[in-house]
Amino acid sequence: MPSKPAKLRVIWLQGITCNGNTHSFLNDPDLERLLDSVAFIHHPILPCTKTLKELVKKLPKSDILIFEGAYRADFERVGVAMETLLSALASKTKHIIALGSCASFGGIFKEFSPEHISGILFDKEEERGPLKMMREKIILLSGCPAHPKWLSFVIEMIVAGKRILVDEYRRPKELYGYLVHNGCLRNEYFEWKVDSDTFGTKEGCLFYAQGCQGPYTHGSCNKILWNEVSSKTRAGTPCVGCTEPTFPKRDLFSTKTYMSIPAEMPLGIPKRSYLALAGAAKSFHIKRLEERLIDDNA
Amino acid sequence: MITHELIERIEGEAVLDFKTDKNGRVQDAAIRFLHFRGMEAILEGRNALDALVITPRVCGICGHSHLITTVRMIENIYHNAGVLIRISDKAQSIRTVTLSCELIQNHIKWLYLVMLHESSKILGKEPAVALKALYISSAVNQLCALFSGQWPHSSYAIPGGVTCDPTHIEVMQALRILSDVERFIDDEVLGCSPEVFEQAMRDNKILSLKGDFGTVLRNFDTLGLLEKGKSHGRFLVLGEAEGVILNGVRNRTDITLVSEDISQTFEHGGKTYAKNALYQGEFYETGPLARALVQKRSGVSDLYRTYGDSALTRLCARVEEMVLLCTQVRQLLSSLDLSQPSFIPPPAIESISGSGVGILEAPRGSLIHRATIEKGKIISYSIITPTQWNLGNGIASNLGVAQRAMIGADTIAKASLIFRTFDVCSVCTTH
Repeated sequence: MPSKPAKLRVIWLQGITCNGNTHSFLNDPDLERLLDSVAFIHHPILPCTKTLKELVKKLPKSDILIFEGAYRADFERVGVAMETLLSALASKTKHIIALGSCASFGGIFKEFSPEHISGILFDKEEERGPLKMMREKIILLSGCPAHPKWLSFVIEMIVAGKRILVDEYRRPKELYGYLVHNGCLRNEYFEWKVDSDTFGTKEGCLFYAQGCQGPYTHGSCNKILWNEVSSKTRAGTPCVGCTEPTFPKRDLFSTKTYMSIPAEMPLGIPKRSYLALAGAAKSFHIKRLEERLIDDNA
Repeated sequence: MITHELIERIEGEAVLDFKTDKNGRVQDAAIRFLHFRGMEAILEGRNALDALVITPRVCGICGHSHLITTVRMIENIYHNAGVLIRISDKAQSIRTVTLSCELIQNHIKWLYLVMLHESSKILGKEPAVALKALYISSAVNQLCALFSGQWPHSSYAIPGGVTCDPTHIEVMQALRILSDVERFIDDEVLGCSPEVFEQAMRDNKILSLKGDFGTVLRNFDTLGLLEKGKSHGRFLVLGEAEGVILNGVRNRTDITLVSEDISQTFEHGGKTYAKNALYQGEFYETGPLARALVQKRSGVSDLYRTYGDSALTRLCARVEEMVLLCTQVRQLLSSLDLSQPSFIPPPAIESISGSGVGILEAPRGSLIHRATIEKGKIISYSIITPTQWNLGNGIASNLGVAQRAMIGADTIAKASLIFRTFDVCSVCTTH
């Protein structure tokens, strides 16, 4: 009988964080099977072999280092500055995962002190984070938070020894090649330029007035559903663009328009093409798309 | 002797500075939180509606509570500006359902990952990962996401209602999940029906509960801690079903009596980032125990009469609340009138200037958001979290709630376990 392969040793370290990625990860219904192939040397909440105190003292080798939260050189865990702690753990690991938008680009917490806080590889769009010399072993899983299945996918790929194709921000293309717009249940309204003139309905597209960033935000939120059942846009909430280095933008519940055309175009669509198509689509009145989807909800 | 103890496996970390006598007994304990993120400053200058996206990121385990508090606060700003905001019963019920889900998953994680784990560890029998608890808490979060789109970090509650427009498909699925959660509580947590649990509290027989909660109580009993952890016996509920208990007398609350004390913070020569939250200048306990007593819920009140605000009563209150919340969620889901609007549009936020407050009962207790806005833009934002009440760091003549509960413990390890009964959250405390 072949012996069971050794479990990959994983360290989960936190920078400036809200623990959102930790709790998102705990939602993974396949956690039990994941724990068959990995063992946590340290995790902030799950049982693990080393406490934070021991981790900081021993600085053990690992197979995967998961970093959650934003980076600031002088931010301390157990009295050790991140400058020292992160680089020590990073140099002794084979793979690094920047989990969530704070670890990826700086995220929300960067806003407090933009000149001092960044992601571990990127600072917003710029590749000037503290681990830029180790870029080849870093994978970014941006998102606020990252979906638990995005993380388990990357871990499974590492366990299987497969190469992960990445985009310009070192995010797995198979996860971030899609836009949040793909798979949105309101796509038909987008195609025919039918605006949702209010919140709280199933009808209409949220891109034209409600600030939805789905058409230019990378992420498989409407393919790999949240908590297995939904997504922001499926719950009628505009996408806030949380996987992008620009997160958090401002005025998140309204669309910036220019001559009543959204100021930011769907990704890669030239304004001229958009206008041509929008003009044509808007010239038709499609009765079905202007009615309630379900007449009587009672 | 002074010992600095790092408390891990909470939300973030805390440092407890213990002063012990020659037998190791705790004579004094200071509570310190060493991380600060500046959430309030991040909010200033932004559109008030952006707060619906930013404030959930105060905390990964109770961010939904921050969302609902923010939306209440913005609605209160509208109200104070003379604009009537209407919320349908449906939207109100859905908000209560999703908020209740957050409390339930929080209490399950606290019970298994913290209380069961840590109390067993002290007794030398550290348990494996409580996968069944994580599985069921993720199911509760799934119930929430049927309406909120996702958990954590949803922004589905907006002034005027909610963004979702659920069908009976979601409601039926939610009820199915709820049945699983109720079964888990009966079979695994309690080892009996909620009625038998209620009776056991009244008859003072909870130590014989067969479920995992019984194991936690017996662990505490073995450690001699069940009747330890007593504090001031002052309780505060500022959110739903508000009330304050002082010297055993219950009164209505007055939000103007809330204050923050910054004397212990780094900025003022202290050793923590946490500000103390005070009511009438005093430390009060907030959270499930306060809620149960203010609402005069019978089982917990019976235990309180016998055991005071000891670990036993505090532990029971959190578990009893979980049971109660399931019942309430079932009622709300069963009576949802889906024909009502999800959202009733208020005037544009850009037309509003003024101040307001949002108050809510979060997993750990009363949560307050206040802001002043000018033509829809945030001028100032202030958050008081539940843990600022419970984990305040006072001085010898005026001790914080958890501080006082720890003093007198036989050992540092036991004092630390008492500390955890308050459901510690570092990220919220300093925000």
